[in-house]
Amino acid sequence: MSESATESPPPPSRLEALAAKVEAACAERVKRVASIAGELTYEVAAADLLAVCRQLRDDPALAFDMLADVSGIDYLTYGMDEWNTRTATSSGFSRGVTGRGDAAPSMPTRRFAVAYHLLSMVHNTRVRLRVHCEGVEPPMVDSVVDVWPGANWFEREAFDLFGILFSGHPDLRRILTDYGFIGHPFRKDFPLIGHVEVRYDPDKQRVVYEPVSIEPRIQVPRVIRDDHRYEPALNGRATGLPGQKNV
Amino acid sequence: MGLVAEVDAELKDKGFVTARLDDLMNWARTGSMWPVTFGLACCAIEMMQAGASRYDLDRFGVVFRPSPRQSDVMIVAGTLTNKMAAPLRKVYDQMSDPKWVISMGSCANGGGYYHYSYSVVRGCDRIVPVDIYIPGCPPSAEALIYGILQLQNKIRRTSTIAR
Repeated sequence: MSESATESPPPPSRLEALAAKVEAACAERVKRVASIAGELTYEVAAADLLAVCRQLRDDPALAFDMLADVSGIDYLTYGMDEWNTRTATSSGFSRGVTGRGDAAPSMPTRRFAVAYHLLSMVHNTRVRLRVHCEGVEPPMVDSVVDVWPGANWFEREAFDLFGILFSGHPDLRRILTDYGFIGHPFRKDFPLIGHVEVRYDPDKQRVVYEPVSIEPRIQVPRVIRDDHRYEPALNGRATGLPGQKNV
Repeated sequence: MGLVAEVDAELKDKGFVTARLDDLMNWARTGSMWPVTFGLACCAIEMMQAGASRYDLDRFGVVFRPSPRQSDVMIVAGTLTNKMAAPLRKVYDQMSDPKWVISMGSCANGGGYYHYSYSVVRGCDRIVPVDIYIPGCPPSAEALIYGILQLQNKIRRTSTIAR
C-alpha cells in the first residue's frame, strides 16, 4: 500500500458515491488512502478520531452503526522481508533460516497504527479507518468504546498483543495471553519463541515457568512461482497451447 | 464357543466360575475406559466424530464423562497452551487412579505446528505422563480408535496382583 492517494483502478460508482458522502461529512479530517479490491480506507489523525467516528455513526447518510473489528498494526519492519523471497522459496518448507533477530533497523517515528473496520447495516457499506498512534512508547490512541460498545474487547486485544493504550477504555487489561504474561507478542521485535516455557514440577507439584530452552528460527514457506509442467522436454510433446508459459 | 456361552455352561455345570483376578480387573478396566471430555482444538472435532454414531466409541465401552472424578482416561485432543497447562494438570490430578492419558495429534505430542510459538507447550508430556501418542494433524477417527485399542492392549499387559 503506498501512502499517496490514488484512484482505485475500476471505479465502482457505488464506492465513489460513498467516498463522496464520507468526504462531505468529515471534510478535512479524513485523508483517503490508496486501496485495492474496491475498498475504502481513510487515514485519520489521532486527535480527530472520536469526532470522525461519531460523525460516521450519527450521520443518517452514512450510519456506520457497527464496528466489525479493531486491529493493531506494527510498522517496525514494514516493507522488509524476513528471508529472500525470490531465491529461497522454491526449495521447501521447514528449512529453518536465521531471522533478523532483535536488531531493529531504524525505529520509525510512526510505528503503531490502529485500523477500524466499520459496517453500515442500513446502507450495506463498509469503510476502514487507520489512525497512527501518538507517541512510540507507549503508543496511545483514544478509545472508541463510547461510540461503539463492541470496541471493548477488540481494544483489549490490541492492547494485549501490541501494547497500544486506549485512553478512556473502561477496563483495559489483557484478554488472550497467559496470566502474568510479559510483553506484547504481535510486536515485530517480540521473539516468536517467547521468553518462558512451562513444565510440571513433580517436587513442587505444580506447573512451573522456566526460561525458554529452544533456539528461534524462521520457517520458510514453500511458494512455487515457476514450475516446469509446461516444459516441452518434460512432457514429451510440443507446446503451443494458449496460456502456456515458456520457462 | 463364545465367552458368554462358556461362562453359562460353567455356571450350569458347577454353579460358579473361576478366573484370575488380574484378568478380571483388566477385563473390567479395558471394557469401560471412560475418557474425561477435554477438547482443546480441532482434534476434538475428530474425537467427536469417533464418539458419534458412525464410529461409535460406545462399542468399546468408551463413554465420555463430564467429570474427571468419574473418568479413567484423558484424551488430550489439541493444542495445549501455556495458559491451559495448569488447568489440564488440575483435571488430571482430579481423576481417580488408575488413570491413563492419550496424547492425540501433533500439537499434544510435541507442539506440532506451534512448536516455535511463545504460548504453546511443546508436548503435553511436559505436564502429564502420557501412555499413548497418536500421530496426525488431526488424526482421523480411525486413528483415535486404534490408539484406544492400543491402550487397551497396554492395560491388558499390566498385572496388579501378581508381580
